[in-house]
Amino acid sequence: MSTLNRKLWRDIRRHRAQFIAVAVTVFLGVTMFVASYDSYLNLDASYQATFTEYRFANVTYVGGDVEALEDLVAGVDGVESVAVRTVADQPLQIGGVKMLGRVVGVPADLQAEVNQLKVLEGSYLATGESILVEEHMANHFDLSPGDSVDVLAGDDWISARVAGIVSSPEYIWPARNRQELITTPDNFGVIFATEETTRTLTATGPNELAVYFDGGAENDELLEQLAGLAAGTGATADYTRAEQASNAALAEDIKGFEEMAGFFPLLFLTAAGLASYVMISRLVHAQRPHIGAMLANGMTKRKVLRHYLGYGVVPGLIAAVPGAIAGALLARVITTFYTGLLSVPVTLIEFYPANAVGGILFGVGAAFLAALAPALVASRIRPAEAMRGETPTGGGRVSLLERVIPPLRRLPIRWRMPLRGIGRNPRRTIYTVVGVVLSLMLVLVSWGMIDTVDHLMNTQFVDIQQEDATVYFTGPVGDAEIEALGGIDGVEAVEPSLQVPVRLAAGADNYDTALVSLNAGTEMHRFLSSEGEWLELSSGLLVGKALGDLLDVEVGDSIEVQVGLLGASFSEEIAGFLDEPLGTLAYLSDERLTKIAGVDLPATSALIRYEEGLEGGDLRSAVTELPGVAAFNDSKAMFDMMQEFMLLFYAFVGVMLVFGGAMAFALIFNAMSVNIAERRREVATLLAVGTDRRTISRLITTENLIVAVMGIPIGLVAGYYLSSMAMATFSSDMFSFDLYVKPMTFVWASLAIVVVALVSQIPGLRAVRRISIPEIIKERAA
Amino acid sequence: MSIVMKQVDKTYGEGPTAVRALREIDLDIPSGEFTVLLGPSGSGKTTALNLTGAIDDVTAGSLMVNGIDVTGLSTDEQIAYRRSEVGFIFQFFNLIPTLTASENVELVAELTGHNGGDRAREVLELVGLADRADHFPAQLSGGEQQRVAIARALAKEPPILLCDEPTGELDFETGRMILGLLRDLNRRNNQTVLLVTHNAAVGDMADRVLRLRSGMVVDDLRIESPVEAEALTW
Repeated sequence: MSTLNRKLWRDIRRHRAQFIAVAVTVFLGVTMFVASYDSYLNLDASYQATFTEYRFANVTYVGGDVEALEDLVAGVDGVESVAVRTVADQPLQIGGVKMLGRVVGVPADLQAEVNQLKVLEGSYLATGESILVEEHMANHFDLSPGDSVDVLAGDDWISARVAGIVSSPEYIWPARNRQELITTPDNFGVIFATEETTRTLTATGPNELAVYFDGGAENDELLEQLAGLAAGTGATADYTRAEQASNAALAEDIKGFEEMAGFFPLLFLTAAGLASYVMISRLVHAQRPHIGAMLANGMTKRKVLRHYLGYGVVPGLIAAVPGAIAGALLARVITTFYTGLLSVPVTLIEFYPANAVGGILFGVGAAFLAALAPALVASRIRPAEAMRGETPTGGGRVSLLERVIPPLRRLPIRWRMPLRGIGRNPRRTIYTVVGVVLSLMLVLVSWGMIDTVDHLMNTQFVDIQQEDATVYFTGPVGDAEIEALGGIDGVEAVEPSLQVPVRLAAGADNYDTALVSLNAGTEMHRFLSSEGEWLELSSGLLVGKALGDLLDVEVGDSIEVQVGLLGASFSEEIAGFLDEPLGTLAYLSDERLTKIAGVDLPATSALIRYEEGLEGGDLRSAVTELPGVAAFNDSKAMFDMMQEFMLLFYAFVGVMLVFGGAMAFALIFNAMSVNIAERRREVATLLAVGTDRRTISRLITTENLIVAVMGIPIGLVAGYYLSSMAMATFSSDMFSFDLYVKPMTFVWASLAIVVVALVSQIPGLRAVRRISIPEIIKERAA
Repeated sequence: MSIVMKQVDKTYGEGPTAVRALREIDLDIPSGEFTVLLGPSGSGKTTALNLTGAIDDVTAGSLMVNGIDVTGLSTDEQIAYRRSEVGFIFQFFNLIPTLTASENVELVAELTGHNGGDRAREVLELVGLADRADHFPAQLSGGEQQRVAIARALAKEPPILLCDEPTGELDFETGRMILGLLRDLNRRNNQTVLLVTHNAAVGDMADRVLRLRSGMVVDDLRIESPVEAEALTW
């Protein structure tokens, strides 16, 4: 090993705490990059492989003459397969639990050409056999082949034997539709029956055409061509693979990994770069005489440059390589866990060398860039000047704060010293402030997610939804059924509700959703406008705010409401946009809808409120025993289930907070260690003149804390805006993620930074206690 | 007696790398005396000064300063001792760069309960720097910085001034001026001055010169007729 390299290693060993801090930050940044990007690619590949293997439809047309459409589409170039099927939402009953079910028709004996199933248990349907159960429902009710499920057919419950348990590419995430992405297993389940049985059970004909393109590849031109054909056969709705509820939910989810792969590593590597820059700059500053001597003795500038670049590149490389390995391993764990949790039929785990190499390059690159400026300074040092040892100490000046607030100049010197210290090395102060800002950004983005989700849940389930439960009927009902519900002991109030699938159209744009009709003066649902005001359901449509962009409409515009089931449509004015966290629904008062229809309309569900002190479990059986009741959806159970879903999310955010804390510690620790190192001479002098060590510690702590605190307001503002941007990327017509940060979160995040700043000083302050006065006061360099 | 060392020994390090900086030194320096510790680099003169100032610990022997047993002081007692008994003047001035000349002095004056501002003005005037009070160290010449350092040492009115190569960083003229100032303070305030230097010429202005070599006092010269600082030449 060359002498210079020996010096490099010894210097690194001597300042190991600071180099370790940089290395840990680089390691975390590279690990996060490789882990999140590999996970994203693995999950995407797993989904795509699942879709190809199980021939997940590229597009599905609903309504109209689907058999005629099948004939038209089957011959189109680029279409590999088509499948006509019957899909109907039909009440199911398992072990006394009534629920909203979905029956999907499939061919007997052999799999459909499109949307094939993976048989997990039992066997595929043979002619005349009963049903296959989708695995989420099977798992919840512990169903096995041979068990039975009751299906409502007309007015009778028919028992169907379970032939097998299956998973479907359409229900990897068991969403009922885009408006109801979150369902509880007690309220929604899917069964597959032979097409013949399905038609018998549901008493309807085929109503969907699923189309699979060549090789399952996306093809926008083909989509456009088929849309024209579908319109000609009277299709009332369609959804592409990307729009399909389950896939859309999964796509939103893995998008998070992709976003994370860019944003979080960038933050960490910037932090690592700053920490490294601060440290190497200090090193070069302290080694000026040595550098001068090296140059004077004939060492080339290039060699000096290379040597000091080594202080960045070596720890960067040491951290980036294991970071890439750890990231790749972590991605395997994440992918396996994730696909296992969602029961994705195909799991693909691959090693992506480009990601690992990219991660290493990013890590080393950040460290290289951090070292470049101080290394250039080192290589340009003039030997004669450097060897005189008169290292510039920086001129003193009255602090900005003292200039702005002159009375501060009358403060005791021990207070003025920290104020002056801040401006002494402006660049380092700025980097420390930037470090605090980056740390707060990371903390707020993570914490903001928790607050936002928490707030959205409360907005949806506490502020907007005022009902304790929704009761679904097996078909349209009149006043008698609603009154019967109201007669149940423990039910305080009941309101009818009509919910029908509709297509909202404005010009060439359209959007498939549900129209919900409620009493004009409903007390079961509140309407929160996108401006934060509470609206009345009086005249006109109240629609989810996403429609504004989707249909390019404003309040006051009229849109067409197409009710596919009835083959009718009407035009209605938009009275307001709603800020509802879940889904993008359209609301209209029952009075208005009745007026438009010209007849009294039935209800398809009822919203009920319990008497005080009662819970869903107390009323479920009494409600579901009523004839005509298909399902009982307890709002609190839904809320609780969503909270359970969020546990995984909270765990992720928790990890991010720990990483953020580590990053903040590394950055602030390095800046403060350097700060303290530069004060050694002053500290020794102060000790020599009789200042006690506690006072000196207080001086240093105050100065460092002021710098940290300076970054807090900037960090809070920057963190808030970054969180807002991050949340916006997750927002869609399915979820509305408007950032909400609790005021106390700002307080806690700020306190956390202060604590990190305090803790990160401990090693430096301990060094102050160990300072040898005689040694340091004789040192020439400051 | 002001400073009394008996069999004082100081060793740095342990085992084969141990360095014995002072070897059983005995010396008495009376109150008000201007003493120069003279010797080449490594002779132990700065070590003797540091021990006297309680910024370093004696390995063996006893050291009494103004009746205080310096060898037995706890850390807190050492701090109190440095506040009340000694004032340091360093070769490299060691001023706080972010404080003005006046503030550097105030900082120390406040430690001993003086009104910092008043005391700073007083001592800066004494060293002839009243008009430079609001300048920062970087705006002062070397000589001026050293005078601020002297003012800082005087701010708490210590009975003993410990000066470590106070002219080492200064040009000839400025060095003479600083030495004159120290001598003047010694005479005017009857302050004991212990000054370390390797410059033999400086000894001519002292009351006494102690020559050190390899950690031992090899010569103890009393100067009968010290010359004025202005007359020094080297």
